[in-house]
Amino acid sequence: MMVKMTVQGGLIYLTLTLFVATIVARRGGWRTIGNAFWGTGFVAAVASVVWRGLHTGHPPMQNLFEFFLCMAAALWPLSVLSRRHNGLDTTVQDALLGVLILVPAGFVFSEEVRRLPPALQSGLFIPHVGSYVAGYVLMARAALMALPLFRQDIAGDRLRQTETASRQTVAIGFMLLTLGLLLGSLWGKICWGHYWQFDPKEMWSLATWLVYAGYFHERLAHGVRAPRVLAALLWIGLLFIVLTLTWINLSRLFAGMHNYA
Amino acid sequence: MRKILNRWTGPVPAAWLCWVLALGAVALAFIGAERAGAWMARPIMQVGVALLTLVFFFVGVRAVLRRRFDSALLHIGCACVLAGWLMGRYAIRTSTAARPCTGSMVMVDGDESDRLWEGPMLDQYVGQLPFSVRLERFFVERYERNSDDRNAGRNAPVREYRSRVTITEPGRPPYVVNIRVNEPAFVHGYYIYQMSWGNSTDQLGRPVVYTVLQFIRDPGLKLVYAGFALLLAGILFYAWRIFRIQGTSLREVTA
Repeated sequence: MMVKMTVQGGLIYLTLTLFVATIVARRGGWRTIGNAFWGTGFVAAVASVVWRGLHTGHPPMQNLFEFFLCMAAALWPLSVLSRRHNGLDTTVQDALLGVLILVPAGFVFSEEVRRLPPALQSGLFIPHVGSYVAGYVLMARAALMALPLFRQDIAGDRLRQTETASRQTVAIGFMLLTLGLLLGSLWGKICWGHYWQFDPKEMWSLATWLVYAGYFHERLAHGVRAPRVLAALLWIGLLFIVLTLTWINLSRLFAGMHNYA
Repeated sequence: MRKILNRWTGPVPAAWLCWVLALGAVALAFIGAERAGAWMARPIMQVGVALLTLVFFFVGVRAVLRRRFDSALLHIGCACVLAGWLMGRYAIRTSTAARPCTGSMVMVDGDESDRLWEGPMLDQYVGQLPFSVRLERFFVERYERNSDDRNAGRNAPVREYRSRVTITEPGRPPYVVNIRVNEPAFVHGYYIYQMSWGNSTDQLGRPVVYTVLQFIRDPGLKLVYAGFALLLAGILFYAWRIFRIQGTSLREVTA
């Protein structure tokens, strides 16, 4: 636990405060004010990503700290787009997710600048990591959206709307995970000499992908007859993502070629 | 018979297969990359992957017959990737000293060689390349030091390292290529990678900088890339189809 007494830290704490204010305002019933806080929080999140990029001199996607900053900045656009598409207002959940993402960035991860090693100097750096940033955020949002599916009394229109919204979110997220996996594989061939090295992080990403592939097959097999199974699968997928991001990156148990973070 | 076949190739066993494979992937993550690769190189695992390839292909063809083209693209894409990987493994198993699949060379400026080596100390002879490589010069470039660099006392981090080599192929005049990380050269079916570099001394005790180049030939690569293209097309198609299901209800609700 450490407080960052830098411009970077200030921007992160500003974003955090605005996200918390969004939650408080929306919970208190001030809808417009909450949405204004939410939009301003996005501006602050983007500012912190841009500041980081200018400060380090490379795309801010090198380690977990930078990855989390990007995830926080990706929240607002995804939230607005999804609300426009399926009419499900998830601002409060998304702001909560933003707080969960930014607390480790603000208080746990080090902001030490590290120069980009030769392996990361590639045109595939931004597309590969960017797909995963957006894909992971979408998967987390889908899991939160699916929460009402756990309730006993959900049925009819409400069930259909919730299920469709979460499934559409997962579909886009799954597309991005696939894209990230394929681009990573292509990059592996160009950089390390092979498209698949059985690196622990590769295996966990593949396992995550397979969990969501299983979700789509399950949905195809049983439809919405077992909504709680579908919601549980989304939470298992999210668990895999959290493990891929934290345990696999930080533990020495899974030493591998992805150890840049 | 048909009913049983449909039941066993339907989405229910497919979902279970996905989760079993996910658990298998996690298990391979626990044992580490090297041992996982050795495990997957075993004949029994190769047979398993071959079976999986056939299942994917069968499901893909059936999806074509049912006009579910997104599903077809996805499953045939997976089949192509796995088949390409098997082709690569087969090439490694049947490679000879006259046509090796993978190997490395350690060189200092001015060396010329066409022999590949492997092992932790690169002392096991693998085979001979159909062309020869001469290292003209090896470059290491470092970042400029920064005042707020924590490692200011030590060497600055490496920005780039690259080998300038001359390739001599039979039937072609020699030519120069630069090989750096993320920029392999492609010669005569082999990708040439800048693997690593280091400091050492020669026989007279003078310091030298050496470079390690890796050579890889993979006849299954085109099939793998074709599979990637099919997978990508399939996933776009699939996401579009799911997304086309428009709005779920007219009023906006709080989830």
